[in-house]
Amino acid sequence: MRQAGTYSGLLSKMSGRTGTHSLPLARIKKIMKKSGDDVKMISGEAPIVFSKACELFIEELTKRSWTMTMQGKRRTLLKDDVASAVIATDIFDFLLTLVSESGNNINADAGQVNPR
Amino acid sequence: MVEEQDKLLPIANVGKIMKQILPPRAKISKEAKQTMQECATEFISFVTGEASDKCHKENRKTVNGDDICWALSTLGFDNYTEAIVRYLHKYREDERERAKNQSKVTATSSNEDKAKESPSHKSREQTTSVQQIDETSSAPSELRALKKGKSSLTNPP
Repeated sequence: MRQAGTYSGLLSKMSGRTGTHSLPLARIKKIMKKSGDDVKMISGEAPIVFSKACELFIEELTKRSWTMTMQGKRRTLLKDDVASAVIATDIFDFLLTLVSESGNNINADAGQVNPR
Repeated sequence: MVEEQDKLLPIANVGKIMKQILPPRAKISKEAKQTMQECATEFISFVTGEASDKCHKENRKTVNGDDICWALSTLGFDNYTEAIVRYLHKYREDERERAKNQSKVTATSSNEDKAKESPSHKSREQTTSVQQIDETSSAPSELRALKKGKSSLTNPP
């Protein structure tokens, strides 16, 4: 098990904050700005909110992907497992193009991808 | 290649979060981490777009934490909201504590600064008048924004 400590301490120094943000705030802000021309001003709290939201998102998608891995009786989580999890979850529909563009061998049991 | 990576969340951080949620003996392929990295980045863009639309409709320029929470709920991620609200609450408390401690420090050094009219003094006054930050401002200015109205501490009676 990894321990929070040195690494998260380093991260917090880089972001100028104490406490454990697991994702770099500057990078989050950069991605937010790139998301659209409308996005000009971002409050200080928004990247903080995202650092937690992304953590929860990654956890959820990872858990669902792992379910696919176990169905395949494997111990290594593969890209196809992530793709299958995306297909099987409605709220991850916005990722369908992303996972199908990567040229995945989609698990036929999980369902068909309909291009939009 | 390096430039492309700048547009994504760092793979090391993403991989760490994944590892923490999986059983100890689980392995993750590099491609799976890369896919997760892309998905998480797309997640930010997707939610930000929704939040930004809301701000635009309401004639507001700044996307704030509440807008993000609203967008998450609207897009079906309402089960995240509770944890985020708690996280944000704790963060705000921590920031209040830090602002308190920091103002104590600046109060003692402010008499020296005032005589010199140092640039840092000026920038502090500027940043306290706005809550918004742009890309070029560094993290400390976010803290200064919380000290709105306290710049009177630096003025001698």
